[in-house]
Amino acid sequence: MIFQALATGAGILVLVLLGAIIVSLLIGGLPAFRQFGVGFLTSADWDPVKQVFGSVVPIYGTIVTSILALVMAVPIAFGIAFWLTELAPNWLQRPVGIAVELLAAVPSIIYGMWGFFVIVPVMADYVQPFVIDLLGDAPWIGFLFQGPPFGTGIFTAALILGVMIIPFIAATMRDVFQTVPPVFKESAYGLGCTTWEVMRAIVIPYTRISVMGGIMLGLGRALGETMAVTFVIGNTNRISGSIFGPGNTIASLIALEFPESEVGSLKLASLMALGFLLFVISFIVLAISRMLLRTGART
Amino acid sequence: MSTTTKSGDTRPGIGAMAVRASPPLRDARISIRNLDFYYGANKALKGINLDFPAGQVTGMIGPSGCGKSTLLRVLNRMYDLYPGQRATGEVMMDGENIIAPGMDLNQLRSRIGMVFQKPTPFPMSIYDNIAFGVKLHETLNRAQMDERVEWSLTRAALWGEVKDRLTTSAMGLSGGQQQRLCIARTIAVRPEVILLDEPTSALDPISTLKIEELIDELKHDFTIAIVTHNMQQAARCADQVAFFYLGEMVEVAQAAQMFTAPKEKRTQEYITGRFG
Amino acid sequence: MTGASQTMQSSGPARDGKIADRLARKRRFQDHVVQGLCLFATAIGLAFLVLILATLLYLGMKGLSLGVFTTVTKPPGSNGGLLNAILGSLIQTGLGTAIGTPIGLLVGTYLAEYSAGSKLGDAVRFVSDVLLSAPSILIGLFVYTLLVTPFGGFSGWAGSVALAVIVIPIVVRTTEDMLRLIPVAMREAAVALGAPKWKSIVFICYRAARDGIATGVLLAIARIAGETAPLLFTSLGNLNWSVDLGKPMASLPVTIYQYAGSPFDDWVQLAWVAALLITFGVLALNVLARIVLRPRS
Repeated sequence: MIFQALATGAGILVLVLLGAIIVSLLIGGLPAFRQFGVGFLTSADWDPVKQVFGSVVPIYGTIVTSILALVMAVPIAFGIAFWLTELAPNWLQRPVGIAVELLAAVPSIIYGMWGFFVIVPVMADYVQPFVIDLLGDAPWIGFLFQGPPFGTGIFTAALILGVMIIPFIAATMRDVFQTVPPVFKESAYGLGCTTWEVMRAIVIPYTRISVMGGIMLGLGRALGETMAVTFVIGNTNRISGSIFGPGNTIASLIALEFPESEVGSLKLASLMALGFLLFVISFIVLAISRMLLRTGART
Repeated sequence: MSTTTKSGDTRPGIGAMAVRASPPLRDARISIRNLDFYYGANKALKGINLDFPAGQVTGMIGPSGCGKSTLLRVLNRMYDLYPGQRATGEVMMDGENIIAPGMDLNQLRSRIGMVFQKPTPFPMSIYDNIAFGVKLHETLNRAQMDERVEWSLTRAALWGEVKDRLTTSAMGLSGGQQQRLCIARTIAVRPEVILLDEPTSALDPISTLKIEELIDELKHDFTIAIVTHNMQQAARCADQVAFFYLGEMVEVAQAAQMFTAPKEKRTQEYITGRFG
Repeated sequence: MTGASQTMQSSGPARDGKIADRLARKRRFQDHVVQGLCLFATAIGLAFLVLILATLLYLGMKGLSLGVFTTVTKPPGSNGGLLNAILGSLIQTGLGTAIGTPIGLLVGTYLAEYSAGSKLGDAVRFVSDVLLSAPSILIGLFVYTLLVTPFGGFSGWAGSVALAVIVIPIVVRTTEDMLRLIPVAMREAAVALGAPKWKSIVFICYRAARDGIATGVLLAIARIAGETAPLLFTSLGNLNWSVDLGKPMASLPVTIYQYAGSPFDDWVQLAWVAALLITFGVLALNVLARIVLRPRS
């Protein structure tokens, strides 16, 4: 009885923990919400001198970097998962699978540092000048690829984020691909399908709900990632039309500005309020991911 | 396993079983010679020699694990999907050894269709389930495809039940309907040989009966191999029956002969239900 | 109508072999292209891992010396080491694991053994799974308001608690999964001997699930050892020697953050060394965890 009470109590503690995180962020951010009201969500200003704070730029940066990261990561993750489940020779499956999982284990600060010292120079010297030359003057989409090649910026941050979330998405996809009963695959092979046709017509339709869940899980990870982004995004509170332009995200802004905020200041409250918003966004994405993965596992 | 039975009183105790007179066996569509099969180091089929007569039904019986399903999976090279499984020997069809390397497996499988134990409808509409396989090997226009879908569903005795809901998901069909859909999907590709792996073991008696009638109907156009552990089913459907035990083919004969006067003692014991 | 009658003729190689061949060639080609792309994708994934590790080895080994482990961090240009950061990391990671593991173990036990079908159980499982992927920087902010502001400053305690919050959901997940793998027969055998439920859990189930739970704990350690964001607001970092848990405490990840962004070459070099240490430590823990988990047959 005592043991059961202890275990149940620990379970309730987890609920309390989540509640406490939400409440502490909300209370911490309350002064900012009071001061700016809806304006906190619609203003793009972040000016400690004038004491005006708005969340549009970091929210924009958070969402754009995460979506771009997904666009880059999902095809690669799918390729890895497909290769691991259907194409890899037996003896390679386990080592390559572990290698992909190790990619997920590398701490995010290492990604940030590596991105800053290795990827940023490559971006600045080769990739960005080339793309800007190539597409900068193109009609319609040219504005996406303009500006000076700093190396840092939204695109570089998204690239690093993409690499970071590849293993999460790939591992989830691999696990759900493996749940397709072999007899379904065999009956497609029995009609004369190639491996890719079996994947496209059988495996993907069967697992699409869980696959979406895995992608949402990756999105959830990308939204809240801090250290990797802080190193390479350029940290400017401005929305740039170009994907090579600098920007910031909620997490990177908090990490950078927090040490310079005084206790009780409006700026600290605004950072807390941003944290609250980030929590709400990630919670929704992760909750959807969880539900999709559960639903997918049941059918 | 009983060994005390004297040969005098071994009239097979299957008097209730309807054994019909078997027609003479025709020329072989597929000939297996000296086939061995391995799961890794484990030899699962030993020196199999067997002919599948064209346009007739060959039933394969035997206790579970005897190798009958394995043999079926050799015929369309399904084992190729799994590393460590391999076959040696000859499986001749149209002068080609189909287990030789270099065989075009996708083409082979379009000539040798397979229906599985469990119904395996694909996650798409009834219509698309049929059209999917056809599109792999043929370019048909819409009207031709409609025709093919209707034809195969009619042949599978399913058209009447589904003609008004072709665009609905195949997952909504009953188990028996799903299995007939799988048969329709297989014949829509117009194979020459159809492999049936215990196709009724997951179905109720009425659905089973329908499938058996269907098999009788289909053999006019296809060479059929069916694995079953239902002896009555083998007696009802098959023209030729092969009995497998522990990876060996013990005996093969016309169905009538197999069920009335088996030559081998092990066959006799299995048929009369002494083991299995 | 010729098409119709031809279609109706069923068996045999009636279909057009040429078309089938042409389609087969196209399909095979498509299949090869996709297979090639998948191989390429896998190569890209592995290339990133190799590139990162190679960079760390190349740049980290240059600065690796005994002094790194025996000297504390010092101002630029004065031959500092990482001793205080390494020790701080060990202390906070150890404490975080020590605080988080029992709680996670209990929660996992509750979910696997006591929660069957209850709404509370579903809620706990859901929340724990969400916390598993929640942004760690927010856990830092939370612990900041919980422990730093009220107690008058950054501290090693606060850092350890923040890491413990991250440990809990990881241990919960593996504990629940592992306990659920235990066959019912084993529980029933224990109950049949007259053992109360808690005894059968503690003495039978935990023992049977030991390897799996150990894996979860190792993975949790690996995860928090590299965490930076939650420590920024809790233990802050400390450039001086300090093992006082009531004061700000250094750690390898925070030191990397401070040094890598600095303009001093020797600090950047030390940051690479720290990155090398932390990454290979974390990866070694991961590999170890996977060896432990590997089912013995």
